[in-house]
Amino acid sequence: MTDQQQDTAPGLDLVSSEGLSQWRKVLARRTEGRAVALLVIVSAVTLVMEPIVFTSYEVTLGRLALIGLVALGLTAVILMGELDLAVASTLAFSGVVMASIDNLALGILAALAAGLLIGVVNAFFVVVVGINSFIATLGMLFFLRGAAFVLSNEEPVRLVARDAGIAFGRPLLGPLTPRILIFIAAFAALQLFVTRVRAGREFYAVGGNREAAYDAGIPVRRRIFTGFMISGFVSALAGIINTLERTAADPTAGSTVLLASFAAAIIGGVLLTGGRGSIVGTLIGAASLGILQVGLTLSGVQVDVQNIVIGAILFIAVITDPSTLRAVLGNARAFLRSGSEAQPQTG
Amino acid sequence: MSAPEQPPVETQDAVATALEEPAGLEQEQEFKLLPWLADRGIVLFTLVLILFAAVFVDGFASLANITDVFNRAAPIGIVAVAMTFVVISANYLDLSVVAMVATAAVTLIAVSNSTGSIAMAMLAALGIALVYGLVNGVAVGVFKANAVIVTLSTTFIGLGILRWASGGSIYFGPQDGAIREFGLAKLGPFPLSMLVLILITLLLSYVLTRTTFGFLVKSYGSNRAATRLAGVNTAWVVIGAFVISAIGAMIGGFVLAAFSNTAVSTNGTGYDFRALAAIVIGGTSVFGGKGSVLRTLLGVVFVSVLTNLMVLSGLGFGLQQMAIGALIVAAVSLDALARKAGAA
Repeated sequence: MTDQQQDTAPGLDLVSSEGLSQWRKVLARRTEGRAVALLVIVSAVTLVMEPIVFTSYEVTLGRLALIGLVALGLTAVILMGELDLAVASTLAFSGVVMASIDNLALGILAALAAGLLIGVVNAFFVVVVGINSFIATLGMLFFLRGAAFVLSNEEPVRLVARDAGIAFGRPLLGPLTPRILIFIAAFAALQLFVTRVRAGREFYAVGGNREAAYDAGIPVRRRIFTGFMISGFVSALAGIINTLERTAADPTAGSTVLLASFAAAIIGGVLLTGGRGSIVGTLIGAASLGILQVGLTLSGVQVDVQNIVIGAILFIAVITDPSTLRAVLGNARAFLRSGSEAQPQTG
Repeated sequence: MSAPEQPPVETQDAVATALEEPAGLEQEQEFKLLPWLADRGIVLFTLVLILFAAVFVDGFASLANITDVFNRAAPIGIVAVAMTFVVISANYLDLSVVAMVATAAVTLIAVSNSTGSIAMAMLAALGIALVYGLVNGVAVGVFKANAVIVTLSTTFIGLGILRWASGGSIYFGPQDGAIREFGLAKLGPFPLSMLVLILITLLLSYVLTRTTFGFLVKSYGSNRAATRLAGVNTAWVVIGAFVISAIGAMIGGFVLAAFSNTAVSTNGTGYDFRALAAIVIGGTSVFGGKGSVLRTLLGVVFVSVLTNLMVLSGLGFGLQQMAIGALIVAAVSLDALARKAGAA
């Protein structure tokens, strides 16, 4: 084990000490290591380059809430080893649903119901029909994007209750806007759900080993339905917040949310194969991305370049999955050493 | 998903089928609708659709319209037949064709405008395509990362670079260059780009069915562990599939640029799911291991005729996207249900 580590990262041994191996143990046990590392690096650099990111923290928090909310719901699904690619379209669609209904309260209820219904349909195709969740939710992504266009006549829908929208953008509690408060509430609720509630804890079992979960008497199908409904509901919530803040629903809303929310969850150490990860990890991932985005925007970096940076971070995060990295590095070495004789081990 | 759901039932079924093996031959001859539809349905669907279009939709059966269908089918078809390799290798799909098609189109027109050499522009685009294929392939094949997320991130990186470099501007080709001539060239009612599509389909069909690489792609798609244990360097199989997909997207971008004689960074929008729709409606399985390039060609005909019908009937972009999204889910559901029915 030690030999292998020396092979892979000789640089680390220059700082060799007992404390370091202790750290390694912690990092090996927890999957949030990369998120913490990214957060530290990003915070340190931003603190030097653009300290305003931290002094005007309500802007940064607002950004974090924007990226993080959808990612929180997504985490529930990924914990079970499934994916929900429809989150961004759900956001756009539910926003349009809400804005097309004149009564504000009714609109919000309809949007949330739409989110739940989308979750149920996704789970139906995954659980009952037996399609892979990547493909089922990908089809849903296109379908809902189209539906949002149809419902809105391909142009932004103005919110009738404009005053409510304007009030929603104002700080409610100290410097905190309702968006940030809702984000904190959603974070607390989901964190409690997956760590303290039996049904939530069973998400880990479903993702870790589905057959064992089934044998242990866990209602696997119902848990997957719950997971997709959480994801749909949270995405709809994000759509409502977006619509309120902009006082209009844009059918193309959330096009960058898909990338950012997946990046937050995957950087946060939620394994795509399921069973490992945490809501806190996703929060840290979202925080590092939020600080990075605000920092880049304040330094005048174009949106295109920001997309490149976030895309690159997601790419690096997904290929350095902590659970398989060691085996993969072994594979990569074998692959480079000898062309056709290489016998990669299990990843 | 069904296997972990009801392991006891599945196991019993497996045992039961194993015991009744002598009767298996008779069972094969028994007609089952779902597996038949999933396997052969595409021919029926396409014929019905074309018949319906010819009879009920005004303006479909005109020469100008059919040439237009071919013109639009060619780039999407080239992208789809090449992406079929990724799907058969059980890596879901290659979302990065969106970025690759646009990059190839812009590179072809912009570089040939500035250097005056089309060959140079094509070489530059080929270099970019190889980078795309290698990056996606190494991430998925060597690092065992999820193909959807990898290609999602490379799409954003690629489109970001393209928009940043091009500033989002539209590039126009010269009015009398070779690119324009290719875009306008016809063989009877068929645009020359259709010939390119057919040649590429035949070539890729040969690669998939007659070469060791093609065999390994199918084998890897149906059983990764077994393929690896057989001593195959599976990383090269995955890299190969993604390189083919990237080069296909590049040629699709060339054809698209030649057809319109313009190029812009939004050129590739929609190519990911239109190509996926063509692949799955053709009967290639997203579960991997099963499928063919010729099936995808049929799927392309279906999707192109359907899109044309929707445009002729005045359906908006939103409804078109809804229809194609529903089509993907329906085709994959049919495949999944057929598997269940076939296994029972």
